[in-house]
Amino acid sequence: MMLPAIVLLPLLAALLPMFTRHLGRRWCALLVALPVVAALGLLAQASLPIWEGGMQQWSMTWLPSLGLNLALRLDGLALLFCVLILGIGLLVVVYAHYYLPAKDDGGRFYTLLLLFMFSMLGVVTSDNLLFLVFFWELTSLSSFLLISYKQYDSAARKGARMALTVTGMGGLALLAGVLLIGHVVGSFSLSTVLESGALVQEHALYPVILCLVLLGAFTKSAQFPFHFWLPHAMAAPTPVSAYLHSATMVKAGIFLLARFYPVLAGTDLWFYLVTAAGMATLLWGAVWALFQHDLKGLLAFSTISHLGLITLLFGLNSPLAAVAGVFHIINHATFKAGLFMAAGIIDQQTGTRDMRRINGLWKYMPYTAVLAMVASAAMAGVPLLNGFLSKEMFFTETLQSDQLGALSWLLPLGATLGGVFSVAYSARFIHDVFFNGEPVNLPKFPPQEPPRYMKIPVEILVALCVAVGVFPAITVAALLAVAATATLGGTLPEYHLAVWHGLNIPLLMSVIALVGGIAVYACRRRLFAWYARLPEIDAKRVFEGRIQAVVRLAAGVTRGLQTGSLQGYLAWVLALVAAVLVWQLPNLASVTGERAMLPVDGVSVLCALMLIAAALLTTVLHRQRMMAIICLSVVGLIVSLIFVRFSAPDLALTQLSVEVVSVLLLMLAMYFLPARAKADSNSLRVGRDAVLAVLIGTGVAVAALLVMTTDIATISPFFLENSVPGGGGTNVVNVILVDFRGFDTFGEITVLGIAALGIYALLSDLKLVSAKYDPFGRPWAHDAHPLVLVTLSRPLLPLALMIAVYIFLRGHNLPGGGFVAGLITSVALLLQYVASGVTWVHKRIPGDYHPLVALGVLLAGLTGVASWAFDAPFLTSTFTHVHLPMIGDFELASAMLFDTGVFLTVVGATLLILANLGKLSLLDDKKETT
Amino acid sequence: MELLVALIIGVLVATGVYLCLRARTFSVVLGLTLLGYGVNVFLFSMGGLKINQVAVVGASADPTDPLTQALVLTAIVIGFAMTAFLVVLALRSQGEQHSDHVDGQDGEQRS
Amino acid sequence: MTHWIIAPILIPALAGLLLLLEVRERQRLRRVTGLLSCIALVPVALVLWQQAAQGDVGVYQLGNWQAPFGIVLVLDKLSALMLLLTAVLALAALLYGCAGDDRRGPNFHSLFQFQLMGINGAFLTGDLFNLFVFFEVLLIASYGLALHGRGPERVKAGLHYVVLNLAGSALFLIALGLIYGTTGTLNMADFAVKAQALEGSEQILVTVAVLLLWVVFGLKAALFPLYFWLPATYANATAPVAALFAIMTKVGIYAILRMQALAFSDGPLAGLGADLLWWLALVTLALAAIGALSASRLGGLVAYLVVMSVGTLVAALSLGDPGTVGPALYYLIHSTLICGALFLLCDLLRRSRGDSDDRLESGPPLAHGNWLGAAFFAAAVAVVGLPPLSGFVGKLALLQAVPSAPYWALLLLAGLAGLVGLSRAGSTLFWRVHGEVVGKKLGKRRVIPMLALLLVSPALTLAAEPMLQLCAGVADQLADQTIYIRAVLGGAS
Repeated sequence: MMLPAIVLLPLLAALLPMFTRHLGRRWCALLVALPVVAALGLLAQASLPIWEGGMQQWSMTWLPSLGLNLALRLDGLALLFCVLILGIGLLVVVYAHYYLPAKDDGGRFYTLLLLFMFSMLGVVTSDNLLFLVFFWELTSLSSFLLISYKQYDSAARKGARMALTVTGMGGLALLAGVLLIGHVVGSFSLSTVLESGALVQEHALYPVILCLVLLGAFTKSAQFPFHFWLPHAMAAPTPVSAYLHSATMVKAGIFLLARFYPVLAGTDLWFYLVTAAGMATLLWGAVWALFQHDLKGLLAFSTISHLGLITLLFGLNSPLAAVAGVFHIINHATFKAGLFMAAGIIDQQTGTRDMRRINGLWKYMPYTAVLAMVASAAMAGVPLLNGFLSKEMFFTETLQSDQLGALSWLLPLGATLGGVFSVAYSARFIHDVFFNGEPVNLPKFPPQEPPRYMKIPVEILVALCVAVGVFPAITVAALLAVAATATLGGTLPEYHLAVWHGLNIPLLMSVIALVGGIAVYACRRRLFAWYARLPEIDAKRVFEGRIQAVVRLAAGVTRGLQTGSLQGYLAWVLALVAAVLVWQLPNLASVTGERAMLPVDGVSVLCALMLIAAALLTTVLHRQRMMAIICLSVVGLIVSLIFVRFSAPDLALTQLSVEVVSVLLLMLAMYFLPARAKADSNSLRVGRDAVLAVLIGTGVAVAALLVMTTDIATISPFFLENSVPGGGGTNVVNVILVDFRGFDTFGEITVLGIAALGIYALLSDLKLVSAKYDPFGRPWAHDAHPLVLVTLSRPLLPLALMIAVYIFLRGHNLPGGGFVAGLITSVALLLQYVASGVTWVHKRIPGDYHPLVALGVLLAGLTGVASWAFDAPFLTSTFTHVHLPMIGDFELASAMLFDTGVFLTVVGATLLILANLGKLSLLDDKKETT
Repeated sequence: MELLVALIIGVLVATGVYLCLRARTFSVVLGLTLLGYGVNVFLFSMGGLKINQVAVVGASADPTDPLTQALVLTAIVIGFAMTAFLVVLALRSQGEQHSDHVDGQDGEQRS
Repeated sequence: MTHWIIAPILIPALAGLLLLLEVRERQRLRRVTGLLSCIALVPVALVLWQQAAQGDVGVYQLGNWQAPFGIVLVLDKLSALMLLLTAVLALAALLYGCAGDDRRGPNFHSLFQFQLMGINGAFLTGDLFNLFVFFEVLLIASYGLALHGRGPERVKAGLHYVVLNLAGSALFLIALGLIYGTTGTLNMADFAVKAQALEGSEQILVTVAVLLLWVVFGLKAALFPLYFWLPATYANATAPVAALFAIMTKVGIYAILRMQALAFSDGPLAGLGADLLWWLALVTLALAAIGALSASRLGGLVAYLVVMSVGTLVAALSLGDPGTVGPALYYLIHSTLICGALFLLCDLLRRSRGDSDDRLESGPPLAHGNWLGAAFFAAAVAVVGLPPLSGFVGKLALLQAVPSAPYWALLLLAGLAGLVGLSRAGSTLFWRVHGEVVGKKLGKRRVIPMLALLLVSPALTLAAEPMLQLCAGVADQLADQTIYIRAVLGGAS
């Protein structure tokens, strides 16, 4: 349980500031530091077996089906990183307390910092690859929030987004790579994977896996060509930089290289990819670091360069080089954290980070100057400091490698060149800041030494640099040994940590680097002048520009598809339909089936021709709206004739009555819509639409023809047989509607009801201006309510209602039923509206039809529910015979009640729609008169 | 006769599709209505065509398929509800966007 | 005789109708009625899940007519799961709506209930034509809801939505006609049986019919090239409506999954249209990612995230492999609830930004910016699939289940696009601010439903293993279509 406690303590600490921020920053820092100290203590205890070559593991199942378990391990490598993360983290906590501006209570800062610490600890201690990715992404997220800490500063936001995008991309690649490793190895357990190096490297997917994992590592560790985000992450507060860019965030990528070293390293591909990236990064960072005028910028590029150095070491495929890499991880973390903190002090004391203004600080803050100078000297690789030792090993290793064959000399050359620039920029950091004349126009003057305790973290780090540099064997040797052993996966090569190895080539390279570096710095003026002439490249702007370009491109693509044009959208849908038809229907052997067709008669042909003519006329004349409506109603009429002809009287009745109401609706619509309708479509679009229309029309017709001439067994005989015995009605269509498939009808009347509601909602407070005149300039009506119509319509009402009752009652046995009856009633009532006006009607019947609709559907629904009382499912019907005078013998079925519901809904919905639509014109009239 | 009905279906669907693709709400309403007719006749025809064989028990020897009729009836009602909604929505669109173009003012400017 | 199965349809229907009888515009009574219905649906769905989890498929024969002649409602684990998901989402959405959005137009509460009736019916029905009817119920209600609250943009988007779906309904009828005309049945289980013995021209006609159905369902699910209506419609809908609509695309996905599992897992039509769905889904995923990058409003961005989830899901489901169905269902639950939360969150932001609305540009600072920002951050992390929230688990499960390079590449890149889009959006909305705070205080009645939906994500993460097992159980039951067919056609009630 010690391992999870070590990882979770920072998470616990991250929550504390939420409750303690009102106590002020001092308490915050203290409360946050305590768990970190505790974690360090636990780590010390947990590390006991590791010094003896052992390992600590802990695991708990979480997602076994995905192979994601909460598994932790503490081996040498993890221990080393834990020490760095917790140790430097603790120093940063202390340092930040003094660094943050007075008005910042530190709550948010410490929460984010500790969250980040937690994520990092998770990365380095995970014993499960997916768990590692889990934490890996958490570091990306928490570092995003840390970098954007000064959220109202545009540079901070952009820098944070850039870091998130680049490292996020790497994280996704890593996820893919890890999943592939799991696929190859058959387990996500790190312990298993570490033993499966050969298996992975022999697998066909190895190159893919390698590239994906390296993408993850390189983006995180800012390796060329993904290095550009790092300098812009400097927009973060300096304690964050000191933490993220020395010991943690960027080292996560290096950690990944070390962790996967036994699995992925050792191949030529590894050598070429990793060495090349490392060398390019080493040189690129070193050269540009020299030219940075920003104090933190210099440190940022130097970080890039040192990360390249470590990567290069891991790429060399030699165990000794890997040891050197691990050693440099430690050394870089110590001196770089110290340097960032010193830079922060200088920034705080002078109010600027511009080295062209910060000069001669030796006079004002000699103590800080000494600390910074020692740390920079370590960075430059000056003897007796830790940087010298690992650099020496680095030079040795580049000399040893022969993997480039005849070109092997390139490696030591590059290394020396990197060394030269590294010395040069270190020299600049020392000379430019602390000497080189007087300060120029500092925002804060004179600078002073910082508070006593702010220097303590720096002192500790610098002391470590010296101690390691002078007495490597008694300070760092043990930790390095266990870490390197874990990295290499077992056997440690022989090496000596000593300051003096005798006169040899690496020493010569160090001397060249020192002398050359000073020389380069000496000609800095000429170099700066050259740099100033270079076109200024702001990676942030370039990156933002790229992103903007991608966004523009994306917007272009989206606009191209997402045109906002209904015609376009509909054309896509219909084109897909046409494609389906064109793709499948030509496979048909024949467009007719085996059944003989019915004979054709003259009247049918005539009607068909009329229908076709009317349909085509509707299409041609669609801009002459009145004509189009007339043609359309002809079509509707003939369709109902088709139903009559082919033994479907119910359909014919329904079609006819719906037709009446629809035409009424269309007329009303026409009244309000603009009369003018110009041709909008160019011939290309007309052609496209015509092709689509013909293709779909033909396809549907062919399918219809084939089905009509084919005999198949259907479920309908059941309905014919059971209609009377089971449903109590002879009109099978009606029995289906109210009984066999009454649930459909229930849904259908609900749809009708909802449509009415929706329409009511649409019409409420709608204001429309209608033309008082038709397109030909004639007034729509001279007399709103012609007397003839009024006189005729009133006696029609009871008559129509009678018919409706008749149609309704006979519906179960003969064509008719609730729906048709409802429509007839509505039409009769609507006629009153048309003839006498809304006002007249509403004086006589209540105008709100909402309850009627509800009652109708409710009645239908309650009829269904009633069957529960008889322990039967919803809508189970029952019936009995009744004799009524005049109408005759008929069955009274519970389905009748259901049909009454249908009737009420239809009346309610139709009137709700049309009466409210009619009211529109009323509003219009009122407006006209007032 | 089947051929004739198939032809009718084809023409109704084709004209319906064409009108749906026009730019004015009124034309689209017309198109959807025609398409609705076509689809209803199509659905109806799926049960096969029979003359003088009403699906009333006892009225005919070889009654026509009642199920497709019931389906078409449901489809007609739903189609009516939908058309009504669309018509009113077209009015609303006219009222709010002052255009009867299906894309409102944007479409007006484009055309 | 137990009537539990039909309760998810009847409860909202009854509530919707009672709301209509209430003519005196008593807002409070309306809210109570609507909320009572939504609250009731949660335990009902739980009871149904409890029943379905036993492994038996429940069948409810309406009108006491046996299948395939009468209409049946079928309750299996899949439908129970979808009902539960709908109930949870609807409750949160309605609670949000009751904070004031329901007053922006008449009949909101009725329409909301009818919408639920349609969705639940679509999940339960075992009859193809009845599915059409319930699709129409949910569509007509959604038309009304999409237009709730006025505004020219909303009307324009609504008009597009309505016309496209009307065309879709026509296609649905054609497809149903063809299915009836060639197999002589409308019952899904019966169709599945008949589909095993098709040949010659009938096989071709059924192929056409099913491909047309895929078009219809693809239109609902918002698949390329049928999704164009979605961004404008969702982005312009009132917040509670948009949140509820997060389940609407899933109705289309459900229909595809149901049909595929039932009728096309083997036999002569096995894998019918699967290739088409696969490629269309991948294109959808890519275009949604592109759309998310280009969005200029938060609402539009979230809408594209919805489309993204559709592409992710349909691609995985099109493989017809039971192993992918489980992870896909987990992802479906996660994405539905998170997108719902995001739509609500988007509205909260809108309220705090005055005239800047949800445009991704510098605006006034937000009252409660920290809390809203934290919620946004969490929702963003969840929706793009980063740890530690449920999106990561869902994505991990899908990646493991679908071993395909293009799918991996697109899914990961779409995640990256989402990350870029959301980080730009978030840093602009919360950090690039100027001027004075203009927004009013955030009401608890709005914040709580949003948070409730958001908190599902950590819950889904903590309970990831049981949830994945549960989804795998659903998938297993789905994989053996004979259970369903036997339950329906065997006539058990």
